[in-house]
Amino acid sequence: MMDGTLIPWLLAGIPLLGVLASLPFRSDPERLKGSSVAWAVISLGSVGGFAGRIDVPLEGLLPLYLLPLAATISILGQPAHKHHRRSWMLTLLFLGLGLSALSSERPISLLSVSLLLVLVAVLLYRHHSALWPRSWWGIGAYGLGALCAALSVAADAPLSSVASLLACAVLLPLVPFHDGHLTALTRLPGSLPSFMVVLLPMAGLHQLASAMPIVPDIVAWTVSLFALVGASYGALKALAQSRIRLLLAYGSLSFFSILWWFAAASRTVTPRSALLVGTVGLATSGLMVAWQVVRTRYGDDVDPQAISGLASGMPQYAVLLSLLALAAMGLPPFGVFAGFMGLLLSSPFPSLTGLFVTLLAWLAASWYIMQMVQRLLFGVRRPELRYADLLRAELASLLIVVLVLLALGLAPTTLFAPEGALFGTAPMGESPTWTR
Amino acid sequence: MTLVLLVPLLLLAAACIVVIGPGGSEHTRAKLAAYPIGAAFLGAVATLYLVTTGGPVSVRFYDLSSVASFAIPIGFYVDRLSAVMMTLITGVSVIIYSYSTGYMYQDRHARRYLAMICLTDFVLICMVSSANLMMLFLFWQVLSYLLYVLAHNHAHAGTLAGAFKTFTLLRVADTAFLAGIALAYHLYGTLEFQELFQRAADMPVVLSLWPGMDMSGATAVTLLLFVGAMGKSAQFPIHLWLPGSLFAPTPVHALLHAGIINAGGFLINRLAPLFGLSSTTLHVAFLIGTLTAVLGASMMLAQNDIKKTLGFSTIGQMGYMIMECGLGAFALAVFHLIAHGLFKATVFLNCGNVIHKARQEPHFPYVDHHAEEPGLSGLTWFTGSVTTLFIPLLILLVTHGVLRIPLLESHGTVIFLFFIWITSSQAILTLTRLRQVASWKVSAAMLMTLLFIVFVYLFAVESFTEFLYPNPEEVASYFKAADLPAWLFDLIIVTATVLTGAGWSYLYMSAHGMTLRMPAWIDSMRIRLYLPFMNRLYADELYALTGQTIMRLVHQLDKRERGWSR
Repeated sequence: MMDGTLIPWLLAGIPLLGVLASLPFRSDPERLKGSSVAWAVISLGSVGGFAGRIDVPLEGLLPLYLLPLAATISILGQPAHKHHRRSWMLTLLFLGLGLSALSSERPISLLSVSLLLVLVAVLLYRHHSALWPRSWWGIGAYGLGALCAALSVAADAPLSSVASLLACAVLLPLVPFHDGHLTALTRLPGSLPSFMVVLLPMAGLHQLASAMPIVPDIVAWTVSLFALVGASYGALKALAQSRIRLLLAYGSLSFFSILWWFAAASRTVTPRSALLVGTVGLATSGLMVAWQVVRTRYGDDVDPQAISGLASGMPQYAVLLSLLALAAMGLPPFGVFAGFMGLLLSSPFPSLTGLFVTLLAWLAASWYIMQMVQRLLFGVRRPELRYADLLRAELASLLIVVLVLLALGLAPTTLFAPEGALFGTAPMGESPTWTR
Repeated sequence: MTLVLLVPLLLLAAACIVVIGPGGSEHTRAKLAAYPIGAAFLGAVATLYLVTTGGPVSVRFYDLSSVASFAIPIGFYVDRLSAVMMTLITGVSVIIYSYSTGYMYQDRHARRYLAMICLTDFVLICMVSSANLMMLFLFWQVLSYLLYVLAHNHAHAGTLAGAFKTFTLLRVADTAFLAGIALAYHLYGTLEFQELFQRAADMPVVLSLWPGMDMSGATAVTLLLFVGAMGKSAQFPIHLWLPGSLFAPTPVHALLHAGIINAGGFLINRLAPLFGLSSTTLHVAFLIGTLTAVLGASMMLAQNDIKKTLGFSTIGQMGYMIMECGLGAFALAVFHLIAHGLFKATVFLNCGNVIHKARQEPHFPYVDHHAEEPGLSGLTWFTGSVTTLFIPLLILLVTHGVLRIPLLESHGTVIFLFFIWITSSQAILTLTRLRQVASWKVSAAMLMTLLFIVFVYLFAVESFTEFLYPNPEEVASYFKAADLPAWLFDLIIVTATVLTGAGWSYLYMSAHGMTLRMPAWIDSMRIRLYLPFMNRLYADELYALTGQTIMRLVHQLDKRERGWSR
């Protein structure tokens, strides 16, 4: 029988072993991609096998399952090209660090987060471009996050709790510490943005579970205010974007801010929070993979305004993109809706204004995401464009995301957490009846 | 229990038959799928019989006592209201689907379209038989998206804009609906219909919006839910999506106008015990409904496109239906929506053929250029005026004496009677303009028909009310809750009387060549009003302007923030 303390090491070790095992295939992109996908799947299997034997965190076990899944679909959705080789291996490396951050106890968990943020900052520095000066802000934000994560290990309370909260604000983006999120999603190469949008917020949520209950009231109130600003700001900025990645980055920022608001109101994190963060991340990840499909066909710097009529030329792609969009804008029966409803019904409302802003942010998603989908899929078919529907790997990647989002919308949360963990606080009325 | 589940499942099976199968067999499969839809209709009829004789049927796939239930609490609660709606929806679906297989024959997207029709029917059935508010909302939202899908056409810019408008406007209403659900849950701790009604009645909650401004919990919840209902039922000012979606194939409109648009009326009826707790919400519903009815009907008169005319007619009728709800006559609203649904489905199914014919034949529709006969014969005028003046008396006698409706205690009923009066008068005024009406046979036939319709309608409504709400005290309590302030009640009655009297006076004076001293501004206003009503009060332009302004502001903010951030 394996010792329970070894399991986090094992979970983190498998993807790292995958990196080493994939090294011999570096010259052959096709085989390297296959190997990376296989190791991500093995990692998912290991989570399935061992997750039941580790202490269930406050947010449940869902994040542990979602990380290898996101890695799998991110790698699978990329074309087998030599330019993506490094990103696949880095995806496995980050997966290992992410699993360590989620499954280990403190301080290993925080050190893993710190290392993860340092690596992302270094990577962003390597991909820095003078055309995108904002990435300095992103690199700075991740640097700050890494510092805060390390500080929260070394310092005593209350400094450690504030430092931990700051690290959370960088990981799970909260205005004004959101530049890292924007930069990572727009500047990182290959499969990394679609993986990072799941990994970093999940790591942030895990840290938030321990940080939120102990922060002073004034800090929680400030967080609540920033969250509301972030939800509106993200939605407004997403409305103004024409670049898809930036639109998705701002859109996800808006939804993550909603989670912050609920977390600040209830001063806790529940498996429902994980459901919202996980599904928002996964839906955004799916949309990024879908955008990658367009980039693969029409070039990296393709202008979305120049693309239209994909619905008639690429029907499979159109159906899957529409479903992903539905999920991302928080419509049933997908997981984002389930997570949002779960939080809406189980968390107390500190203010009606907050509720109003939250609902507006939810509503705005219908506007900017639907606009994006309409622009890409519908309109006149362009004779100068060659329409080629999804390849098998792309189809598999997008289909997995859609099915998982659907399953998360329908499955009971108790699948990933004990029943008692579902309620952070009871609603104002009598005891709940049917809710998750 | 199995029967209740069978109805939606058969519709889902029909969608699968249309979608799944080898290439080349599309038309055969499309025809084959009509059978499960027909079977679903029979199932709905059987369910109606079952719940009429044996009481409501409840099926739940979640544990009420556990927090570990599904995110989507799938459960069915079929009472008489649900069963009636199921029968209506499946009945109309059979006709629409059968018609569509021929109408869309050889269309490139026929398969997708037919599958969507089946899926929409499935969603509608699940919605009307939901066991809780959460499931209802869930299918409500799916319906918003399906409406978008059905209303849009890939390559047509106008259609895409209309579909986008449909989706965004419905989402605005859905958001209010969601807020209502969240508030209801936080106030009463449940979303199960019966428990919710019980707790709302037992635990009156007062919310303080801001110092000095209090509102009862039931009012806050029902107002939010009412905004949700306004969206689907195209109430002013969220009605804009309906004319915008008129590019869709006519069978879609038959389904939309016979089924989907009734969702608002259904929602209010489903939550009648909750709405009955708030006089404020009922008054708001009355106001919005009246406004929508008047504006919808006025705009309908000024349209020059058959689909738009029918679309605005629907808006007017939906306004009328919501107004009925606002007066506490919930069962009457359901009766109205059934009658209107059947009528409008028939008209829309025929409308496609008329459009096709008009495109092929330049002289169609034929216009009768004969000038109207000036003046009225004595017999015509006598018949019309007597009918108009005596019908209300007869109605009052019948309702008060035979049907035993306590008119003095029920504002709503009296207002309805006056609406019936004013509507009948308007119909008679229109009919008397026809030359043929001078014949005493025609006059008598007209009179008898009108009386027949009015009394059958009254008896049918009364019976239907007893069927849907067997407890007379419950019905009386709804009417009581909807009682208007005395001055408003008097104003409505006096206005209705003055309008009818003025109409007949005008007709008489015109017929006898008397000069009407009409101020010049009234004459000019009639012309001036025509243009805005023809242009639908420029509401589409206003919507576009609002959208553009928001986007301009958003872009300006984005530009400024980007500068700061760099």
